[in-house]
Amino acid sequence: ICLHNLCFKEEISKRFKAKQDQLVLIFAGKILKDGDTLGQHGIKDGLTVHLVIKTAQKATGGSSTAASSSSGTSQPNSSNAGTANPGSAANLGTSQGSGPSPAPSQPANLFTGFGDLSSLANLGMGSSNFMELQQQMQRQLMSNPEMLSQIMENPLVQNMMSNPDLMRQMIMANPQMQQLMERNPEISHMLNNPELMRQTMELARNPAMMQEMMRNQDRALSNLESIPGGYNALRRMYTDIQEPMFSAAREQFGNNPFSALGGNADSSGAQPSRTENREPLPNPWGPPDASSTGTGTTTTSTTTSTTPSVSNPLGIGSSSLGNGVFNSPGMQSLMQQISENPQLMQNMLSAPYMRSMMQSLAQNPEVASQVLMNNPLFAGNPQLQEQMRHQLPVFLQQMQNPEALSVMTNPRAMQALMQIQQGLQTLQTEAPGLMPRYYTFVVPAGVPAGIPTGVTVTPENPPPPSSGLGSTPAAGTNPTQQQLMQQMLQMFAGGNASTQTPEVRFQQQLEQLSAMGFINREANLQALIATGGDINAAIERLLGSQPS
Amino acid sequence: MAASSGVKVPRNFRLLEELEEGQKGVGDGTVSWGLEDDEDMTLTRWTGMIIGPARTNYENRIYSLKVECGPKYPELPPTVRFVTKISMNGINNSNGMVDARSIPILTKWQNSYSIKVVLQELRRLMMSKENMKLPQPPEGQTYSN
Repeated sequence: ICLHNLCFKEEISKRFKAKQDQLVLIFAGKILKDGDTLGQHGIKDGLTVHLVIKTAQKATGGSSTAASSSSGTSQPNSSNAGTANPGSAANLGTSQGSGPSPAPSQPANLFTGFGDLSSLANLGMGSSNFMELQQQMQRQLMSNPEMLSQIMENPLVQNMMSNPDLMRQMIMANPQMQQLMERNPEISHMLNNPELMRQTMELARNPAMMQEMMRNQDRALSNLESIPGGYNALRRMYTDIQEPMFSAAREQFGNNPFSALGGNADSSGAQPSRTENREPLPNPWGPPDASSTGTGTTTTSTTTSTTPSVSNPLGIGSSSLGNGVFNSPGMQSLMQQISENPQLMQNMLSAPYMRSMMQSLAQNPEVASQVLMNNPLFAGNPQLQEQMRHQLPVFLQQMQNPEALSVMTNPRAMQALMQIQQGLQTLQTEAPGLMPRYYTFVVPAGVPAGIPTGVTVTPENPPPPSSGLGSTPAAGTNPTQQQLMQQMLQMFAGGNASTQTPEVRFQQQLEQLSAMGFINREANLQALIATGGDINAAIERLLGSQPS
Repeated sequence: MAASSGVKVPRNFRLLEELEEGQKGVGDGTVSWGLEDDEDMTLTRWTGMIIGPARTNYENRIYSLKVECGPKYPELPPTVRFVTKISMNGINNSNGMVDARSIPILTKWQNSYSIKVVLQELRRLMMSKENMKLPQPPEGQTYSN
C-alpha cells in the first residue's frame, strides 16, 4: 500500500463517497498535504487520522417561486407573485373582462372604472351611491389591511384556504358556477389549477400582496377601457359573468356560510381569474340580514351589508370581512345612505339572487342561524342573539312570504315602517304609560314572544303589514303588528346607534385612551372601531401594532 | 493521565502523554493536536486544529493553531495563537494571539488542563452567541507572522 497521502485519500474517497479534493486529513494537529506521506507524519498503526469532508455549503433556500411559498409573510415572494400574476391577469382580464377584482378591496377600484359603466348600463345596481359606498368600504379595507389579515388568520379561513381541493369543490358544487364554467372555460381552468388556487390563497393572506395586485389590476383595467370597444366588451362581460357568479355565490353562501369566508379568501386570491373572485362575495352578514329583514328595522342595517353585494359582490366581501368592517365608518355611512334611499332596498330585494338566497336560507335554518349569530350587529347583545335565534325560522318563513317581500320592496312602505318605529320610540319616551302592552315587547326579552306571533299573523292578514302601519300604533288595531314594529324599532335603534359616526360613539373611549397616553387619535379610533368600543381590546390592538 | 491532585507530574511526561492522545485521536474528533516538529525534544511547539462548529459562521472551516508549552507547563497555561485568520472575541485581529485574559480557561488555569482542553474550549467559544455570528474573513487566510 502506498503511503502517500494521495493514495490514502483515494482510498478514503472511495469509502466515504466524497471527492478527493473534499477531503482534508488531519493528524496530530497538522493537515496532511497531498504531497506528504503518511510516514512523514509518523503515522503508525493504531494512530488516528482525522478526516474532514468539505461540503460546499451555503445552500441558500431558493426563494420566490410565487406559488409554493407557504408563509404568506415573505414579501419578496409576494412581490414576485404580484408581478407574475398581473401579466396573466391582464390576459385573463381581456378574455374574461369581468369587473370584480380578486381582492375585495380591488373591486372598488375596478368599479371606479366601472362606475360610469354601471350607471350607464343600468345593471340594476341602483343609484351610483352604491359605487361610492363600495369605494368607501374598499378604501376602509385598504387602509386597514390588518383587518383582512385578521380575517385570514381566522383558523376556519385558513383551513379552507389550505385546502385547494376543498375550495374547488365548493366552487364547483354550485350548479350556476358549473354553468358559468361551461360558458367560460377559463374559469374551470383556473379552478383546476391547484397551484393557482394556492397562489390566490396566499395572496389573500397577504394584504400587501393584494394591494400590489390591486394596483396592477387597476392598470390592466384602465388599459382595457382605453381599447375601443373594450369598454363595451367589459360591460358585456360584467353582465354576463357577474350576475350568474353573484347569484351562484349567494346560493352557495346560503348553503354554507363559512364558504363565504373561504370564498373570500379564494376570490381575493384569484387574481388571474377575476370571475373566480366573485365567489367570496357572499356576505356572511347576508343571510342574517336577509332573515332579519322581516323585522324591517334591521333592514336598514341588513341592507347595508347586502346591498353592496347586490351591486358589487366584492363589496359584500369586504363588508363581510370581519366585525371591524361592519363597524367601520364606511359601513355606517353605507347604512345611512341605505336608510335614506329606500330605492336601494328595492333594488336589492328585487335581485334574483336575493330570492335564491332566501330560499336556501329557509331550507337551511341551521346555517342561517349560525350566520346570524355572527352578525356583529348582534354581537354585543346576547339577548338579541337569543331573540334572533328564536325568530330565525319565523323570519325565514316571513321571507318566503311574498307579502312580506312586497312590503320590503315597497320603498314607501319601508319609509312608513321607519316612521312608525320612530313614532313608537318617541311615544315610549314621552308616554310610557300609554303603551303598557307594547312595553313588554320593547324589552328584547319580550320580543321573541311577540315576533313569532306577529309573523304568523302576517300571512293571515291579506294586507301586508302596511295596513298595520297605516293604523296608529297607539290604536293597537293589530297587537301583533305592533309587536313586530317594536322589534323593528329595537333593531332600528340598534342600527341607529351604529349609524353615528364612530368618533361620536367612542368619544368617551377616545378620551380615555388619550389620557392613557395613546396619542395617535386615528389609530385609537381604528382600534375602537375594530373592537366595537371595547377599550381594553382596543388597547391591546394598539399595543400589538406598535412593536411590529 | 496519571496526574491526580497533589502529585506533580513532570512536564515531559505530561506532554508525551498528550502527544500520544493527539495521535490516537482522543476526543470527538473536532480538535487535533500534535508536535509541530517531531524532532522537538523539548516538546514545546505544538500545532492544533479546530474544526469550525456547525451552525456558526465558523462551520466548514479548519482552523490551525500554534500552541507553545513553556518550561513551566503545566503549571502555567500555554500560549495559543491562531494561524488561520479568525474573527473571535479574545483573539487578536492582527496576529491571532489568544488573549489569555479573555479565555476563562486560560485565566483560571489548572495543571490538570491540557492542550486538548484548550482547543476544545476555544471551539466551544466559537459556538457562543457572541461569536457564532461574527463575520469571518475569507477562508484560507493566515496571519503573517
